[in-house]
Amino acid sequence: MSFREKIHWIAFVSIMGTFGWYFWTLPAAADAGPQGLWASAGLLLVPVLGITAVTTIGTIIFALRNPKEANAQEDERDRSFQIRGTHLAYYPMVVGSWLCIGLIFGGVSQPMLLRIILGMVVAAELIRIGSQIYFYRRGY
Amino acid sequence: MAQTPFLNDIKTLRFLAGEMTQGDLGDAVGVTRQTIAAIEQGKYSPSLEVAFRIAHVFGKPLEEVFRWQQA
Repeated sequence: MSFREKIHWIAFVSIMGTFGWYFWTLPAAADAGPQGLWASAGLLLVPVLGITAVTTIGTIIFALRNPKEANAQEDERDRSFQIRGTHLAYYPMVVGSWLCIGLIFGGVSQPMLLRIILGMVVAAELIRIGSQIYFYRRGY
Repeated sequence: MAQTPFLNDIKTLRFLAGEMTQGDLGDAVGVTRQTIAAIEQGKYSPSLEVAFRIAHVFGKPLEEVFRWQQA
């Protein structure tokens, strides 16, 4: 497995784990009265710090184990995977954006809107990174 | 598994070039070892620039490295 593929796996698993926890915990915090929205926003620190810590430590470990590959610049195949992954991630962003626009006019609560927007961003990131892992596994 | 519509002789040319490794060729061309492996296996179509660079490393014209495969 290449260095870049390992890094993508770390990002994918850390996002799944931390945001999985976040969305599991969020309803109780968001519905806990008028301060719920701020509590939900504050809880975001956990996944943000968690992802940063896990990806940083993981990258350092894998870079130390294979410094040559870690220092190599990404090539045209890496870039093509990135472009295709970003292209696929565009769709949940568009669908989620239109959904949010509709829900704003439907009078949805702010905490619920926050959950949907975050869910949309996390889904897009997982598709972007997950599709790149798939392309690396497939080889082309 | 999708295959590129052309064949290549990179593996043979590497062997003839002093058993050059995929990593060595990748370094000479400016791509990763994994990309050379994908090209060799016919999984990935390189850009024209990379194809020319590969041919240049072996001192061969492009058509001696890559050959169109008739369907």
